[in-house]
Amino acid sequence: MAENPYAKLQALIVDDFESFRITLSKMLQEFGIGTVDSVASSNDALRYCSSKVYDVILCDQNLGKGKTGQQILEVLRHKPTLNSDSLFVLVSAESNKSIIMAAYDYEPDAYLTKPITGQTLGQRLERLFKQRMTLAPIYKALKDKDVESAIHLCEAEIAAGNRYTGSCQKMLGRMLLQVGDLEKAEALYRNILDVRQLDWAMLGMAQTKKMQGDALSAQQWLEEIIQFNPLNLKAYDVLASIMAERGDYQGQQKVLQKAVDISPLSILRQQELGNVSFKNNDLLGAANAYRKAVKIGENSCHDNIKFHESFAHAGIQLAKLDKNLAAPILRDALKVIGEIPLRFGKTNSVKMNALLLESQLCVASGEERRAEEVLVSAQKIIDADASAVTLDTRIELVRALRELGNKAESDKIIADLLSEYEGDEDQLQKLDCLLDEPCSAKNKALVAQINKDGISFYEAKDFGRAVNCFTSALQDFPQHIGLRLNLVQALMGSFKQEPEKAPLLTAMQQTMDYIRKIIPDNHAQFKRFRQLEELLRGIVASAKTTN
Amino acid sequence: MNRDVQEVDFSFVLASSVHDMKNSLGMLLNTLAEVMVQYPPQNNDHAKSYAVLEYEAARINSELIQLLSLYRLDHDQVRAHIEECMVIDVLSEQIARNHGLLQTRQLELVLQCDESLTGYFDSDLVGGVINNILVNCARYSKNKLFLSAQQTAEGLCITLEDDGPGYPEDMLNASTFAETRANFASGRPHLGLMFANKVALMHRNKAQQGFIRLTNQSALGGGCFSLYLP
Repeated sequence: MAENPYAKLQALIVDDFESFRITLSKMLQEFGIGTVDSVASSNDALRYCSSKVYDVILCDQNLGKGKTGQQILEVLRHKPTLNSDSLFVLVSAESNKSIIMAAYDYEPDAYLTKPITGQTLGQRLERLFKQRMTLAPIYKALKDKDVESAIHLCEAEIAAGNRYTGSCQKMLGRMLLQVGDLEKAEALYRNILDVRQLDWAMLGMAQTKKMQGDALSAQQWLEEIIQFNPLNLKAYDVLASIMAERGDYQGQQKVLQKAVDISPLSILRQQELGNVSFKNNDLLGAANAYRKAVKIGENSCHDNIKFHESFAHAGIQLAKLDKNLAAPILRDALKVIGEIPLRFGKTNSVKMNALLLESQLCVASGEERRAEEVLVSAQKIIDADASAVTLDTRIELVRALRELGNKAESDKIIADLLSEYEGDEDQLQKLDCLLDEPCSAKNKALVAQINKDGISFYEAKDFGRAVNCFTSALQDFPQHIGLRLNLVQALMGSFKQEPEKAPLLTAMQQTMDYIRKIIPDNHAQFKRFRQLEELLRGIVASAKTTN
Repeated sequence: MNRDVQEVDFSFVLASSVHDMKNSLGMLLNTLAEVMVQYPPQNNDHAKSYAVLEYEAARINSELIQLLSLYRLDHDQVRAHIEECMVIDVLSEQIARNHGLLQTRQLELVLQCDESLTGYFDSDLVGGVINNILVNCARYSKNKLFLSAQQTAEGLCITLEDDGPGYPEDMLNASTFAETRANFASGRPHLGLMFANKVALMHRNKAQQGFIRLTNQSALGGGCFSLYLP
């Protein structure tokens, strides 16, 4: 009898049902695997993986509490520590894998559907180990970051024309794009596509076209993939990035929204959707996306405090426009912010920031007294531990003071910051979000450009694009009164063209309300503000009479 | 409150419980396999009882999978995920899946497929079709099954032949297997063939589209099912 080739291998089983673990463990032992460990939870799985190297991990997708199988894979692939080379086999009762797969960015090495028999499992493992062995030189070259050699090895494997041709073509395409050999990549994908419209090759072609600077062709390829297979979420991602590069943030938001509707479980996509919605001043959309990102973040290694804070900011901004709409979000945000120290560590700097946000949330929900108290507690920590106070904290402090109407104090801090960071372009750029006119060179130029673009759209009577242009700048420069006044004017132009669009009217009123709160009487554009207020009153009156 | 919101989509409830049933059945099948290993049949009657238990459980299982798949096909939740596949892998996987069933029914299955034969199809969907047909044939076949695959002018052709009584006349004559309602009424919905037909239709390449064909021209003397994938 031949020697058991798997005797030295180690396997890990992750499943919350004991009977499944026992059955699978028996199957693996019968197959010949020397050591088989099994655990019931995602926490134990990660603990075992951090202390031991497994050749193969058999992991159930639905583990009850904690992370899902896919999220465990996400951790193992994202932090290439011990088990980055293990074969990861995802097991699920779900017979339609595309639905599960669509949600994530990492692909398992194999996917098995329950019920599993010893024969199917053995067969699948044998194939996986064989492939692993045949392609080992390629994996090794990739691991050593020797992409050139990996490319040669892949090409040789494809020329030999065996059962791994397909996998090698996929790998080769990705490597060619990575080293920027676009000509070869295009030839590879074109050869494949001549025979068959495979969506991974179409996606590769789209990426090639994008890198060649041919955004239009790339977009055509991507739209074709989406029509062909609406579950191909990578296609949406690339399409969204093309739109972002073109400055079409509305388009980017729409594409990401579609992808998120299909598969709401991807945290990175929710985070990005939150950011772009915020940029487009769609605060409700932003809040919803951030809320989901926070929720999924509980079990994801991509969780980040930034998005918890952004959720609060979206709520605070929304409250300035629509108190009713904002109310449930503010309640939720207070909870999320309250949990920040638990989730991200009880350091002074985390605590201060959380309290400063809490104070702003309280003002937004009409609880000024409470806001004052929270601000006092924040101030206490700030005074006690000056070393933990960062620029970000002081920016948040200015915001909190402003929300409570403490203009003298907030102006003083801004003045201090401006003199402290004089000449420090990077830090000044951060400060610009607090200022009417930006102080950093980069943002000065940026605002000038936005104004120039917006005004030329306005003059060409392309009011929609003018509106988008001014809107996209407002989140970066919320205090910029000139930009907001320009926005109101662009909205007025748009409304004149399409008087049936009521949301435009609301947007005008909301924007004017916002300006009214921040504009000082001695502002250079105060007169213009008054004139626009007058105009708006006329528009509202005539809109009422026509209704 | 809007009343529509509270109304339950019954087909969704059904699909969810089918999903649960399928999981329990998976456990049942595994346990049954263990029991059979621990307590091998002592006589022919035992062996027969085991065979019935296993066959019926396998049949319920594949029936449930079909139901779920049809539900999803109907709700547009399934798209064929077409990739280049090794045909032999997909076929041997289905044989392995039914290893126990074939053994207890003492059926000899011959597989004829070139090791290097590849095809472009969704391996899960096509695997599901082969499994259903295999389970079904295992019921009617006497002692032999012949599973083969080859490239033809009409695309990749996967064929399963048996030495049973062959397909009944009404099935051979059904040009398509889409007329569910009419068939439901007669009490013979042929879910498996309907599913196979739907899966075949989801596979297309340029002008060609997949299809299935049923005949009684089997070299073994029974029925012959073919799935063509362009």
